[in-house]
Parts: sequence; structure tokens; C-alpha cells
Amino acid sequence: MPSFDLTNEQQQLKGFLHEFAKGVLRPISLEADRIGHMPEAFLAKVQMLAAAMPSAAGSGAIPEEYGGEEAKDKKRPRQASRTALVGAEELSWGDASMLLNLPGPGLGGPPVRFMGTPEQRRRFFGVFKTPGLHYGAYGLTEPGAGSDVSAIKTSCRREDGHWVLNGRKCYITNGARADWVVIFATMDPTLGRAGHRAFVVEKGTPGFSVGKIEDKMGLRASETAELVLEDCRVPHENLLGGDEHYRAKEGFMGAMKTFDASRPTVGIMAVGIARAAFEYTRDFVKENYDLARPIPRYVQLADTLAEDARLLEAARLMCWRAAWMSDEGLPNAKEASMAKAYAARAAMRICSDAVQILGAHGLENHRFVEKWYRDIKVFDIFEGTAQIQRIVISKRILREPPNF
Amino acid sequence: MISFAVTEDQEMVRETVRKFATEEIRPRLRELERDGVPGELRDRFHALGLSLVDVPEALGGLGLDTFTACLIHEELALGDPGAAVALWAPGFVPAAAMELGSPEQAARLLAPFAASGRRRGAVAWSEPGRGPEAGFATRARREGDGWVVDGDKVHVVHGDGADTLIAFAQVDDGWGGVGAFVVEGGTPGAREAWLGLETVPAAPIALRGCRAERLAGAGAVLPAVRRMFARIGLMTAARQVGLARASYEHALAFTQDRVAFGKPVAHFQAVAFMLAEMHMDVESARWMVWRAAAEFDAGAAGALDSVARAAVHANDAAWRVADNGVQLLGGAGFIQDYPVEKWLRDTKALALMGQTSEGHRLAVGAAAAGQPDAFGPAVPSPWIQPVVT
Repeated sequence: MPSFDLTNEQQQLKGFLHEFAKGVLRPISLEADRIGHMPEAFLAKVQMLAAAMPSAAGSGAIPEEYGGEEAKDKKRPRQASRTALVGAEELSWGDASMLLNLPGPGLGGPPVRFMGTPEQRRRFFGVFKTPGLHYGAYGLTEPGAGSDVSAIKTSCRREDGHWVLNGRKCYITNGARADWVVIFATMDPTLGRAGHRAFVVEKGTPGFSVGKIEDKMGLRASETAELVLEDCRVPHENLLGGDEHYRAKEGFMGAMKTFDASRPTVGIMAVGIARAAFEYTRDFVKENYDLARPIPRYVQLADTLAEDARLLEAARLMCWRAAWMSDEGLPNAKEASMAKAYAARAAMRICSDAVQILGAHGLENHRFVEKWYRDIKVFDIFEGTAQIQRIVISKRILREPPNF
Repeated sequence: MISFAVTEDQEMVRETVRKFATEEIRPRLRELERDGVPGELRDRFHALGLSLVDVPEALGGLGLDTFTACLIHEELALGDPGAAVALWAPGFVPAAAMELGSPEQAARLLAPFAASGRRRGAVAWSEPGRGPEAGFATRARREGDGWVVDGDKVHVVHGDGADTLIAFAQVDDGWGGVGAFVVEGGTPGAREAWLGLETVPAAPIALRGCRAERLAGAGAVLPAVRRMFARIGLMTAARQVGLARASYEHALAFTQDRVAFGKPVAHFQAVAFMLAEMHMDVESARWMVWRAAAEFDAGAAGALDSVARAAVHANDAAWRVADNGVQLLGGAGFIQDYPVEKWLRDTKALALMGQTSEGHRLAVGAAAAGQPDAFGPAVPSPWIQPVVT
């Protein structure tokens, strides 16, 4: 029977993270945005959170067998993807930049999980069980290759038990502070996807350095780095999946599988921000306007609020659907793309409406909504632009007969 | 637990209805639109148990929840939305009887519908002209131990000759003075010719000194009316989802078959992106309906707002998909050899069944702002925007 109720555990997680978002994230949200990085005091709080609720910090991104949630009870249905969404919505309701600042493998998690050998999974996820704050990252985009992932130019060649990598990666979340980054490179650009290899490049590897840290329109407190690989020597053991993986499959598919897992989460983050904007606006209207007075513009405000409430709900359901499929082990590439594309567009509209309804108050940078307006735009760009999502969706629907 | 998995029973019901809709309705879509729904098809529909799906078994129904009823109406509308409405012979009567009547009245009113699939029910709400700002121009007065109702009603599905007619009328002034009455002896006017849902006979009804029985359920009338419209809203929204699916699937098949400039037109990105948008519209609308129905069944606080949001979403989504459905077929979309033009007409009529999107939105917006009564009661107002019932 379809149901839209959270489990008790999810309710608890939601309640806990909501308090954290309200009490810890919101109060530093505006300052973090202004200074462009997370305040040091925040780190201490994160340590506290990680100690109090280990599963919350990773938001389900670490697979069960390496100490993520649900490690104990194999008989219960897998809930990890859905639980991750519940957590991510609350945290990004508090502050999405801070969510991206929470320690964990980040986008680097899924490729290690899907492509890595058991030994590699142990090594690279093991890092997160050691004391301190640890991050993973995902290096795919290059100055000359964004949506067209197959056009990457970062090269890799084999040299006496090592691989030598050369190239530049850009717009890498947590790229500078990461313990390791999954770097995609090509053996020979003429081979296309078949020439792609993925490596886990560890911090401190000779020839691996950080270029510039970007200034951005929004999510300013989240670190976005350029990474430089100059004759960077990576041990063969760090070739993700080992030679075996590339005989059977294409490296590109590993890169894409990451997105099937991450897109619903990115979608729900947009929902979290949009919900924050919606609630702020709703409260503003509630406190400032007496809708029953015969002022025609009030009708328009109420109408806009109702539209936003509806889009918010629809976006959340699209994300839940994709996550449910993932938990059920159903292929969800199309649904993940739909969730992300739908949620991003809905959230942009909601954040724009928020500024609009507040009028000039909406521009004031102590009121949050202008920040959310800036934060939300990138959700229509990163993890696959709106256009790429539509390419993914349309390819799938033309290939598979409709099955409603 | 968040889940999108229907039960095996629900899947079975769905498949049965889908088979009926695609094999027995879709091929006859133009004939049904021209001639209406024949009695034998009504009998088939009734034999499948589909007339009183969400009515308790004790009252002769299948006793299924509203959620499953939505699944059924989505599949029926996949065959044809007009037929889906027309075949549902009891119409809004079960919703009105269950929400507004006493248990004894509901049992008495619904028994004949359980006995025959040919018995048609109608609920009269809207009125011609402007009427009063709150409530109706139609009035009810006591006479002996019964009531007498006088007034004019319009846009009544099955109004051309319903076997059971329920009409809303004023016992006292204002929305608080509204009552629902089982009316005898109304005079149908000429059948209304509509833009869409032509399969469904609808007519105005003149009520002149009609003897009536007041529906006397416990509780206030307006909340019960809201729940009645919520039931109708869920069914209608589910039909919009089915309509959107029909249009989308038709356009998908057509554009993959039609070749231009050396390849199927679906492979041009401008077309492919439209298909992607249609798919998202269908899915998002369906999940909105599912969630609202689940909340309604659970009696959740805020369920009526959920229903309103789902109804608006389904109306908007279905219109967009139906419009793109015609657009993607190009000139063929406009021609009645293909079904998509019908669905573009039908979706507009469905969107005016029960509450309108505008009414829903104001109710939801006002509730969100913590001022639920700011724009009057959340029921359709004949004074502002007449609706189909």
C-alpha cells in the first residue's frame, strides 16, 4: 500500500536535524554566506553532531557494510535513500552550504561504492571512521567539459605500476579540503568513453594541487575548488575498480551511476531551501497582512502562496519516488533526473516568489530570502543542468515503453 | 514508511479496469461521444463492481478506500475521460449521501444504485445568473412534515433524467443556512451542449414546488460539503491523470512513428524535451493525487488542503499534457480521426467539475497564511464561478 508517512526512525532523525538546523545552522547562515566559508565554531558543533548521531552526518552516503546506517538489521527493508532525503531536506532548510560542509564522502561516495573493489571500499570509506573531520570529493568537470562528460581531457597513462595524471578539474565541491577525490581521466580521447578511467587521488599526492577557490552567486559558504594535476603519480591500487572493471564496463557508466544516487538528494536539497523560503514568506504574510480586507492584491498573494505550496509538495514527491526506487533496487536514472529537474525548477520559482511577495523587504540581506534566491540557482546547474536532465529523461522514455 | 508500491489486490483491480478501459472504451470513444453510453456498457461496468467503489460494503459498495477508487478512475479515464464520468452512473450522489445524510438515509439512497447499474444520480449545485453573494437563490421551506424546494439549477451531470436528485438550497440566509435535499419532480431543461465531456449528459433543472427530504447527517453542513467536494475532487484529479497519460502515450507513439527530415520527430530535441515535460507532468500529478487520497483515507489534518493542491496540480498538468498532445501530432492532432483533440476539450470540462482551480488556490493560500476564512468558505460559489457537478 502506498504510504507517505515517515518511519519512527525517520521522524526522530527529522526532529533532531530540524532542531540542529534551526538552532545551529540558521544562526550562522548569513555570516557564513558573507565570509564565504564555514565559521570555525561550526566545526565544533559538527563534531558534536557526528558523535550524537553518526548516521545523520553522512546522510546515508556511506554504505551499510562500512558503518553507515542500517548496518545491523538486514531483514528490514532498505530505507537508506529515503532516510537520506528526510535528513537532507531538514539540513538544507537550515542552510544548504552547511549541509555541503558536513563531513563525509560527498559525491565521491557513490563511485567508490559502485565501482570500487572491496579493498578500495574498505580503504576509502575507512577514512571516515577515524577521528577528525573527513571529506571526499568528485572531480569530473573540467574547464572544457561540463555537460558533455565524454569530452574530458585530463589524461592518464600507465608508468611502472603507477598512473600519471595531467589536467585541470574545476567547480569541485570540497575539492581543497578533501582527503581524497575521485578523478576521471582519459587514456586516449579518441577512444571516447571506453578510454575513461576513474582514480581515487589522495590529498598530498605529489603533483596534485589546489588552484583557485571560486567566488559564487550562492552557496558561498561551500568550498568550490579548482584542482590541478601535474604529472601526478597515482598508485595502481587507486584505479577505481581495478583493471577488471574496465574490461567489463565503461568508466563513464560509473560516473553516471553516481548521479542516479545523488540527483534525488540534490533535488530534495532544493526542496529544503524552497521550504525555508516558503515558510518565511507564509509567516511574513500571516503577520503583516489581514487577507480578509478587500484589497485585490491580497488575493494574488494568497494565490501565489498556494501555487508555491503545491509545487513544493510535488517536488518532494518526485524526489521521494526516485529514492524509493533506489531503495527497492529498481533502476531509477529517469526518475532521478525527473526529480532533480522538477525540484530545481519548482524551487527557483518558490524562492523568486518569496522575494516578490516580501516586496523590497525581500532584497534586504538580513532576511534570508535574498540569500535563498541566490543559493537556489545552482540547483538548476550542478549535478547536470536542466537541459541535461531533459536529455536523460527523453532518451529513456524513447527507449522504454511507457509503464505507469 | 514512504512507499509507492501498490498492493497486489490494487494491482489486480487496476489491471482489470485497464483492460476494460483499453478494450471496451477506447475503441468506441467517438461512438460514445456521439451517442452517449449504452445500457449494456453500464451493465458491464456495474457487473465489474465499479459503480460504488468507495461506498462501504454495508451500503452495497465495494468498500474500497478512496485511494483505490482513484486508481480505478485513473485507468477508466485512460480509456476515455468522458466515458469514465458517464459510466459512473451514481455520480456525486454517494459522496453527498455519505457526507451529508444520516446513516439511515445513506443506506436508503444508495440501495437502488447497488441493485442496478442503469440508475443515474445527480447533485445540483450551480445556478444561472448571479444569485446571492453567499449561498444560493434556490430556497427550501417546510411544508407538513417535509420540505418544498424552489429554484433553478444548471450544469448538472445526469440532470436530463436522474433517478435520484440531490439539490442544495437555502433554509436560511448565508452559507451557514445551506441545506442538502433529496428532491422529487424536478423538470429537466434542454441538454447542455458542452466543449468537452460530451459523452456525459448534463442539463439544467427547474425546481418548482418540489417535495423534498432534507439530508440530516450529524455535524455542520459546510465541512460536510467540503468533504463531499474533496471526494469529487480526488476522483476528478485521478481522471485528469488518466487523461494526461492517454494523451502522452498517444503523442509518444505518434512522434516515434512519424518521420521528418530523415528521422522520427521524437528524436528532435525540441520534441523530445516536450515529451520529457509531459512525462514529468503525468508523474508529479499522479503522486499528488496518491498522497492526497492517502491522507484523505487516513483522516489526516490538512487532508482537504492536500486534495485541493492535488486537484489544481492535476488540472494544470493535464491541460499542459493534452495541449502538447495535440501540438505534437501537428495538423493530425486537430482532426477527429485521432483522439487527442477530444482530450484537450475534456480536460477543460473536468477542470470545472467540483471546485475550480482558482477556488482551491485561494483556500490553500488563505490556510497557509493562517487565515482560512479570509476569502469565505472553501466551497465553490455560484456567485463567483459556476461549476459542474
